[in-house]
Amino acid sequence: MKRHFITASLAGLLCTTTPALAHYGMIIPSDPMISQEDGRSVSLTMSFSHPFELAGMTLDRPVSFSVTHEGETTDLLGDLNDATVMDEQGYTLDFPIDRPGTYIFAMEPQPYWEPAEDAFIIHYTKTYLTAYGDDEGWDTELGLKTEIVPLSKPFGLWEHNVFQGIVKMDGEPVPYAEVEVEFFNEDGSATVPDELMITQTVKADADGVFTYAPPSDGWWGFAALNTADYTLPQDGEDKAVELGAVIWVHFEEWTGQ
Amino acid sequence: MDRPVIRKLALATGLAVAPMGASAHQLIVFASVDCEAVTVEAKFSNGNAVQEAEVRVFDGQNSLLTTLPINTDGTVSLPLESVDHATGLLIEVDTGSHDNYWIVTPDDIATGCNS
Repeated sequence: MKRHFITASLAGLLCTTTPALAHYGMIIPSDPMISQEDGRSVSLTMSFSHPFELAGMTLDRPVSFSVTHEGETTDLLGDLNDATVMDEQGYTLDFPIDRPGTYIFAMEPQPYWEPAEDAFIIHYTKTYLTAYGDDEGWDTELGLKTEIVPLSKPFGLWEHNVFQGIVKMDGEPVPYAEVEVEFFNEDGSATVPDELMITQTVKADADGVFTYAPPSDGWWGFAALNTADYTLPQDGEDKAVELGAVIWVHFEEWTGQ
Repeated sequence: MDRPVIRKLALATGLAVAPMGASAHQLIVFASVDCEAVTVEAKFSNGNAVQEAEVRVFDGQNSLLTTLPINTDGTVSLPLESVDHATGLLIEVDTGSHDNYWIVTPDDIATGCNS
C-alpha cells in the first residue's frame, strides 16, 4: 500500500512538472528574402512563446514596434492586428515593401511577470529581412537597450553555416554573455533525445562575440540574457528584470549536391 | 527556357516565376513608378551607383519599346506617356558585364498612381 502511494505521488509529480522552457519574443516574417517575384509586401507574426514546444504566452500590446530601413525608423505599433498565435494573444502585420534594402523589424514588449522565475522578462526582439536583391544595411545596429548586432548577414545563410553576433547592452559589448539558442519547431516535427537539447547555450567571448551553427534549415532564435540594473515592483516587492536581446535568423536548406 | 520567354511569362502570370540568377558582384535594378514616370535605379551590391549602362524597356509582350542611357548617378526617368504600359514594363539594365531587370506590373502602376 505504501509502495503504491509513492508510485502514485511520483506519477503525479511527473504529470505536473513542466520543463523550464526558454521564453522568446518572436517576429517571424513570411519570407526573410523578398524578391520581386514574391510580390510587394511581407506578412509578419509576433508572439511571446516557447518556439520549440510551440507553447504560447500572452503578448500584451508592445511598448513599441517599428521598422528601420535606410537609416529611418518608422513606428508601426498602431498597425498591429490582434491575432491568436500558439493559442495565445499575438499580433500580425502586412507590411508593404516599397524599396530594396534591409528592413529591420523590432519590438519592445511590456514587462512580462514570470512567477516561476520570480522576475520580469523583457525581450527586445528583432528580425532582419532583405528585399529585392539588396542587402545594404544588414549589419545595422538599432541602439536598443540590449541587442545582438549581427556579424554574419542575418539572412541568406545555408543550414550549418555559423551565425556570429555581438551581444550589446547600452551599446557596449557584454563579455561572456550567455546566449540561448532555440529552433522554431514550426510544424512540430522536430524531436529531441533529451530536454536539454531544446535550448542550447553558448557563451560569448571577452568581446561579446558568440558563434553558433544550426543543424538544420528554418528559423532559429538567439536570446542573450542579462539582468537589468533596475528592478520593477510586483506585489509590493522589487523584482529583478531579465533583459533579453533576441534576434531571429532564417537558415536555408542546402540545395547543392 | 530563354530569358525573353521567362520575361513574357513573368508579366503574363503576375510574377509567379522563379527569379533569374544574379551573379557575384551583383547588379541591383529597381524601378518605382508614379503617375508621371518610371524611375529606374541601378547600383552594384557594394552600393556604388552604375555609371554607364544601357536601359532597355520592353512591354508585356516582350517587344522592345525604347532604349535609354543611364545617368551617372545610376538613375534614369522614363515618362509613362512615352510608352505603352498597359501590359506592364520590363526594365533591363545592361552594363556590358552585368545585367539585371525589374518588372513594373500594371498593378505597380495603378498603386503608384494612387499613393
